[in-house]
Amino acid sequence: MNYYISQIEKLKKEVYSKDYLITQVMETKQFIDTNFAENLDLNVLAKKAYLSKFHFIRSFKNIYGVTPHQYLISVRIKEAKRLLSNNITIAESCAATGFESTTSFIGLFKKITGTTPDLYRRKKQLSRAH
Amino acid sequence: MQAFYFFAQINLVMRIKLASLLVQDQDKALKFYTEILGFIKKTEIPMGEHKWLTIVSKEEQDGVELVLEPLGFAPAKVYTEALFKAGIPQTAFNVDDVDKEYERLKSLGVEFSLQPTQMGPTKLAVFNDTCGNNIQIFQLL
Repeated sequence: MNYYISQIEKLKKEVYSKDYLITQVMETKQFIDTNFAENLDLNVLAKKAYLSKFHFIRSFKNIYGVTPHQYLISVRIKEAKRLLSNNITIAESCAATGFESTTSFIGLFKKITGTTPDLYRRKKQLSRAH
Repeated sequence: MQAFYFFAQINLVMRIKLASLLVQDQDKALKFYTEILGFIKKTEIPMGEHKWLTIVSKEEQDGVELVLEPLGFAPAKVYTEALFKAGIPQTAFNVDDVDKEYERLKSLGVEFSLQPTQMGPTKLAVFNDTCGNNIQIFQLL
């Protein structure tokens, strides 16, 4: 066993000893991965993880480094980027990824990617044309 | 107002465009990273004894470029060898499915020092890039 493997074994014991909790949170994260376009509020997600809302948010953040809401938004934006790259309109991309309104979609897209959906889409079309 | 306009035009931001990896042999590394791992060569510029050599992911060809840098500086060689011996990865690549990638690479003769292992919400595996480095692949579960 080399040094790196021994460190992994150590971390498994010290940081990730609560197997059941990790599994519950992981399954909820995977639920977000496939159901991101649905109306997923905190009540739904916490119930899915069999945890109280407070405990769920704290555990999710400890395991993934971001809150469940931040994660959900990042999954939606990732999918929106894929749709926009395929020349789908902003309104359609917004609707297909579960955002409540175009305004909040544009705002969050800009905040996360640093560019607007429109600019992103045009840039992708341009690079495709070349 | 004019000054503001000027700064807005030249866009004062720093971008992360490159990451680098020291390799013992650039030609051998290019072959391994493109033919075995599946990356794409982005630039190759001759520079005397060595060259400026970068690769990108097939999926993000306008994304961060990985520079395959020659291991010319002696102390870097000592450092790289120590990391290799300890099994520590020089860098890590994200994949969709560690198990499938492990099987694919193994069938191509790639040697793994760590088989697919779950650590919390992450699955990882470590292989030898044949150019002096351990490389990790990981997947968020």
